[in-house]
Amino acid sequence: MKELWRRIEWLLHRPRFERELDEELRHHLTLKAEQQGSREAAQRQFGNIALIKEDARAMWTFNFWEQIAKDIRYGLRGMARNRFFSGMAVLSLSLGIGANTAIYSIMDAVMIRSLPVQHPDELTIVNWHAKPDPAVIHSSNGSDYDEPGGFITSPNFPWPAYERLRDHNSVFSSLFAYQGVGRLNLVIRDQASLGEVELVSGNFFSGLGIVPAAGRLISEDDNRATDPQVAVLSYRYWQDRFASDQSAVGKIIKINNVPFTIIGVSAPEFFGVSAGSAPVLFVPMANRPALARSFENEHATMFIDSHFYWVEMMGRLRPGVTIAQAEAELSGRFHQFALASAENEKERTNLPALWLEQGASGVDSLRRRYSKPLYVLMAMVVLILAIACANIANLLLSRATARRREMAVRLSLGASRARVLRQLLTESVLLSLPGALLGLGVAALGLRFLIWLLANGREDFVLRAQLDWRVLAFTLLVALATGLLFGLAPALEATRVDIAPGLKEVRISGPRSSFRRLGLSQMLVISQIALSVLLVLGAAVFVRTLSNLHSVALGFNQENLLVFSLDASKAGYKDSNLKLLYADLEARFRVLPGVRAATAVSMPMVSGWTSSTDIGVPGIPKPAVGRGPKTSYAQVGPTFFETMQIPIVLGRALGPRDADGAPLAAVVNQVFASKYFPNQDPVGKHFTLGSKPGSDMTIVGVSRTARYNSLKRDIPPVAYISYLQKHLKHPSGEMYYDLRTSGDPLAMAGVIRKVVHDAAPNVPVAEITTQARRIDNTISQERAFADLCTVFAGLALVIASVGLYGTMAYAVSRRTNEIGIRVALGAERRRIVWMVLREVFALSGAGLVIGLLCAWASASAIKAFLFGVKPADPTALVASAAVLAASTLLAGYGPAWRASRIDPMSALRHE
Amino acid sequence: METIYPEIPRGSLYMLILKTLSRLGAMHGYGIAQHIQQTSDDILQVEEGSLYPALQRMLIKGWIEGEWSVSENNRRARFYKLTPEGRKQLARELHGYKLVSGAIARVIEAL
Repeated sequence: MKELWRRIEWLLHRPRFERELDEELRHHLTLKAEQQGSREAAQRQFGNIALIKEDARAMWTFNFWEQIAKDIRYGLRGMARNRFFSGMAVLSLSLGIGANTAIYSIMDAVMIRSLPVQHPDELTIVNWHAKPDPAVIHSSNGSDYDEPGGFITSPNFPWPAYERLRDHNSVFSSLFAYQGVGRLNLVIRDQASLGEVELVSGNFFSGLGIVPAAGRLISEDDNRATDPQVAVLSYRYWQDRFASDQSAVGKIIKINNVPFTIIGVSAPEFFGVSAGSAPVLFVPMANRPALARSFENEHATMFIDSHFYWVEMMGRLRPGVTIAQAEAELSGRFHQFALASAENEKERTNLPALWLEQGASGVDSLRRRYSKPLYVLMAMVVLILAIACANIANLLLSRATARRREMAVRLSLGASRARVLRQLLTESVLLSLPGALLGLGVAALGLRFLIWLLANGREDFVLRAQLDWRVLAFTLLVALATGLLFGLAPALEATRVDIAPGLKEVRISGPRSSFRRLGLSQMLVISQIALSVLLVLGAAVFVRTLSNLHSVALGFNQENLLVFSLDASKAGYKDSNLKLLYADLEARFRVLPGVRAATAVSMPMVSGWTSSTDIGVPGIPKPAVGRGPKTSYAQVGPTFFETMQIPIVLGRALGPRDADGAPLAAVVNQVFASKYFPNQDPVGKHFTLGSKPGSDMTIVGVSRTARYNSLKRDIPPVAYISYLQKHLKHPSGEMYYDLRTSGDPLAMAGVIRKVVHDAAPNVPVAEITTQARRIDNTISQERAFADLCTVFAGLALVIASVGLYGTMAYAVSRRTNEIGIRVALGAERRRIVWMVLREVFALSGAGLVIGLLCAWASASAIKAFLFGVKPADPTALVASAAVLAASTLLAGYGPAWRASRIDPMSALRHE
Repeated sequence: METIYPEIPRGSLYMLILKTLSRLGAMHGYGIAQHIQQTSDDILQVEEGSLYPALQRMLIKGWIEGEWSVSENNRRARFYKLTPEGRKQLARELHGYKLVSGAIARVIEAL
């Protein structure tokens, strides 16, 4: 301790200590000189006074930090000499680090991060897979996904299967069930809003291990009876709507007009079992019939019907049980269940087979939608980081070579190798550290940009992404390693060499400066260009996809079209009351100032929605196996065709005369007409809606084919039918409205809300947007891709151009002498420029070829994201090559021009 | 022609300085170097490049103390003297030295 104190004292009174040491040494020298008679001799023997002082000083160890400070100053001076390249290298590194961190953080949120529950690694999601349309499933409510090999997979099961598996298994400590029922109408203290509701089994919270933040959570008892009906608030909703007030427990909340008593609040960090949704309310499963949209006859039987697949489940593995063991047991049990439920031979074939999936990160629709695009994006940003690291490498490489002589001088003056290496290490850290700090900023901004891009205007988009420090640390490490590899390795080499040749080496050495020899730095530049080609080509292909989608003919006019939805059935309107309200609203909208036309429609056009049904067409027999004729349909108001501006090519449009009581009328599109009535006049013909004897429809007109659900998919046969008439598919739920406005459609939002409030105060208006934006939303992934790729390709190009510029500038400076001689001997400036540019083109040409080969090899990875474009699209190819040529020319011309301006006299004097 | 003198190992140098100071009391750097050189019949040459860093190190360790005063020929010089801690260190070093040199001697003689 005393020792430390002495050191600190030394540091505080350093000038005095230095003075004393100096005086002491001089005293010594004087005495020595007196004895030997000659001052010079004494001094010679004394050796290097400065070194002695330095060594003496080194004893006081704090010295180490001072040297670091000096190294940093020296390193900064070195960077300042090469300001442009250093700055760009740091900048490109920060972009690389930032982009990687941002994309990975999104990936982490969507795919990797565990649910905030106890032991998330024990959670297991239960799924089944089978060939499409297993006959044993009579009806379902949920979702399925295509799998490779023509299989489909789905998480929905019949309730009796859940009960069987829950009560008879030895592998799960708990098997719980849940089902999201979407956004329902919630009324608290007479204020209506929409909120996501999740139905859960009694063991849901206990199975996940969630503790209440207030009150209690749903238990088995709550599921036995539906009276009193109870609900648990999510923590966020409790904060937002009740200001975290404890007295919220016990209050009443109306869900779709049914009163529920709030019994508690879930844990603060718990958001549900899916990263892509955020239920605000959890309700016992027993309430499903009252809340979920389903057909009347399902209500009574849904908890006993073995053919109705709807509930999702998740299990918690007992300690020591593996997923494979659990799957072996449960799949056997479920097979028995499905087999026993099958009623005939046809149903016994293609039985759904149960499989288990790791559930630590929750169930996720986002994961299914975004995982593949995210992998592609991740690959892109990794490439960008690689290009950025190549820049760092190039910078350090050229500097290390240029400094061979400096190293030799330092070593000859007595610097130790460790000292020199430390200096170089400091310099590479100096490049990486600001890169990382800036990268942090880029990552934070990038993350917000990405979420905005993915959300794409959807107000209900939820994604809990946060900056991932591990990735930041990892990318920083990569950058540091690059610095070490390319800064230290050549230096290490340099410090190993004999000092003498290093000293003799003049700055312009002969063979080393030749352009022809493919040096490491040239290879780096070529690979940078090749990677950029890959990204530029990717961007070009995605941009082409987007423009193809934009130029798809809609068949209706999407300009100035406002779309919104409302659901009066959730506020208690039923049957004829519901229709009356919808018709009344339609009439009110039509006469609003600024509205040129308005129509009700059961579903929004080109929004990914489909309603389809079997139909009976006279003369087309229903096949013995498989499905017969079917059509997609939409229930529309009397002014639909006029409002949407869809032309009628035959017959007439639907109109006011197709009212309740009039013969059931339908307008079909041209696809329908040519498919089911080829070479006939379909007007006046009949078909039945529904497979069994259904509603008899008369075709009154044929409309020109218009886009129905998607820009990408083929247009199906569509029948437009009136929602006012009583047929099999009359609406029972929500209704959409399309309003053709004369001005900005969104400016009408306030007026619309007021009109609806006047007519039905407890019905909220939802999803107010424009038709154009709705269509845009369906191609959001393509647009996000095109945008991101363009940004990434631009980044890659800039970074690679910097690399090319740096390399060429360095090469020219090394050849100053030679070029000077050429000029002195009469070489034209033009020829000098060309000489350098030839090199630039050789490098970029090589990069282009390699890049195209890589693109060709990786084409299959992106095929799925394209529309109307092949990965080897000639336009995209030519465009990318042109962009690349232009940017390399831009990067290479500077050094070439400078080379041509070299003054022969000063060049020759140059050392 | 220059004579090549064996370099004094740093550990031994500490011991020699401590011993010198313990025998002769307060001394300045030059005096220490001279004393070691003369006592060893000019075989041990104390280089300034090792002497002063060693003295600084011993100051840090608290084995010696420095004090400025006027020397016999009227020059200001820093005189070093042993501290109690230095005396203990000397005893430790001598003990270690005797142990090692005795052992080395036995090994050499055995050959």
